[in-house]
Amino acid sequence: MNKETTPALEIDSVSKSFKEKRRTLPVLSDISLTVGQGEFVSIIGPSGSGKSTLLHVIGGLTRPDAGTVRMNGAEVTGQQGHISYMPQQPALFPWRTIEDNVLLAQEVHGPVSREAREDARRWLAKVGLAGFEKAHPHTLSGGMQQRAAFLRALLSPQELMCLDEPFSALDALTRSDMQRWLLDIWEENRRSVLFITHNIEEALLLSSRIYVFSSRPAAVLHAIDVPFPRPRREEVTEAPEFLQLKRQLSEWMREEQRKMQAAQQGGSRL
Amino acid sequence: MRSWWKNVWPPLVAVIFFLLVWQLLTSLFHIEQWILPAPSDIAREAAAASGGLWEHVWATLKLTVFGFAIGTAIGLVIALILHLIPFLKQALYPLLILSQNIPTIALAPLLMIWFGFGLLPKLIVITLVCFFPVAVAALGGLKQTDPVMMNYMRMIGAGKGQIFAKLELPYALPSIFSGIKIAATYSVMGAIIAEWLGADKGIGYYMMLQKSGYRTDRMFVAIMIIVVLSLLMFGLIALLEKWFVRWKPKQG
Repeated sequence: MNKETTPALEIDSVSKSFKEKRRTLPVLSDISLTVGQGEFVSIIGPSGSGKSTLLHVIGGLTRPDAGTVRMNGAEVTGQQGHISYMPQQPALFPWRTIEDNVLLAQEVHGPVSREAREDARRWLAKVGLAGFEKAHPHTLSGGMQQRAAFLRALLSPQELMCLDEPFSALDALTRSDMQRWLLDIWEENRRSVLFITHNIEEALLLSSRIYVFSSRPAAVLHAIDVPFPRPRREEVTEAPEFLQLKRQLSEWMREEQRKMQAAQQGGSRL
Repeated sequence: MRSWWKNVWPPLVAVIFFLLVWQLLTSLFHIEQWILPAPSDIAREAAAASGGLWEHVWATLKLTVFGFAIGTAIGLVIALILHLIPFLKQALYPLLILSQNIPTIALAPLLMIWFGFGLLPKLIVITLVCFFPVAVAALGGLKQTDPVMMNYMRMIGAGKGQIFAKLELPYALPSIFSGIKIAATYSVMGAIIAEWLGADKGIGYYMMLQKSGYRTDRMFVAIMIIVVLSLLMFGLIALLEKWFVRWKPKQG
């Protein structure tokens, strides 16, 4: 196989359940999905559907009960250190300057060269953090911290980036700014991205493919290809096809949310 | 500078007021000097610094710094070992707490019997009072690592050693320093107790000597010196802390 056609990430029938007070709690049920080289793929699903468990399986923190994880053709199930990661909260280290924070992921995988440091500085300027290289994270706004956290993931040596609801803690205005910003950066770099969110518009704007997850246990309900051409502009959100897809996805999501609530109420009645 | 003065003047006024009342009461009620000397008498005695006072101060300071360094180092090493080996922590942590219920003053004579009157038993006494606050504070700090940052480090594939060096240790630094600050003030007390029990120099020895001569004024001078030494140790560590955790956002 050549590199062009080997997917960056291939998840093949992964299942996982947790034991809780002698009951088995299925969390992931037979999940298969693919992220091609340079593809932006999103997962949307109701909150608490096991998306973070899936990320832990991909990151190698949790071993699946069944199924495999492959990256660039090699099996990496249960192995750590193959992904670059951006968590929900920025999780910048308060004792490090912004520049050192951005270089952390590289540092973990080996000594940081002078070129890498210069590269990081160039990137900081590019994402509007010029002049903050030597600042500590607490002096930055929420949006700026998220940009630094994103840069830390972008500058990681691993090819695949996993972004776990990165904008969910931001206010609506900052959030839409950050979506546009991420779209621009990605169009320029075309890294392979697995993006987890529960914001439908965000997923449609950014991704080439969207996997819709069911409520617990999480399974892939639908996989839809987002047809809008690249490079995309924000105006795409006003196109009739966009609105139609959005309505369709909202309907699926609402249904899942209803099912989950019904299951919770059924559970509490027991 | 102005705000600094704003914080300093109320306690300063309180201390001056307290000393004035003390001075007045001793002369008003004609209290004997060997029972309670007036602040002016104590000040005069301190200024005279007779009886080789500075040599004693120097000896105590050396003993304190030496013992404090050993005690802090041992406290840190213990915390490190117990943190890295959870089973050992489970087994030894209760013993650690138990060891602190033995009063130092009760243990010190035993140490003199076992190790004589040299430097070693004195260092052991100071180490015993210093290691505990450091070890407990360090263990607490290492345990409290932010779970989000921890999850991040594991997701990107950081090993145990990297997680410790790049996350757990820096995260624990503020708590470690609060433990070391307590140890710094305790170390002076430990040195004095050690000197009471058997020494031929030092402020503790000087106190015992003056006690037998009913030189209450000189005992007050010794107490003053102990307070100053403790503050000095505390201030030094507080300065070091300020430098080491300069990244910490200021409160308020």
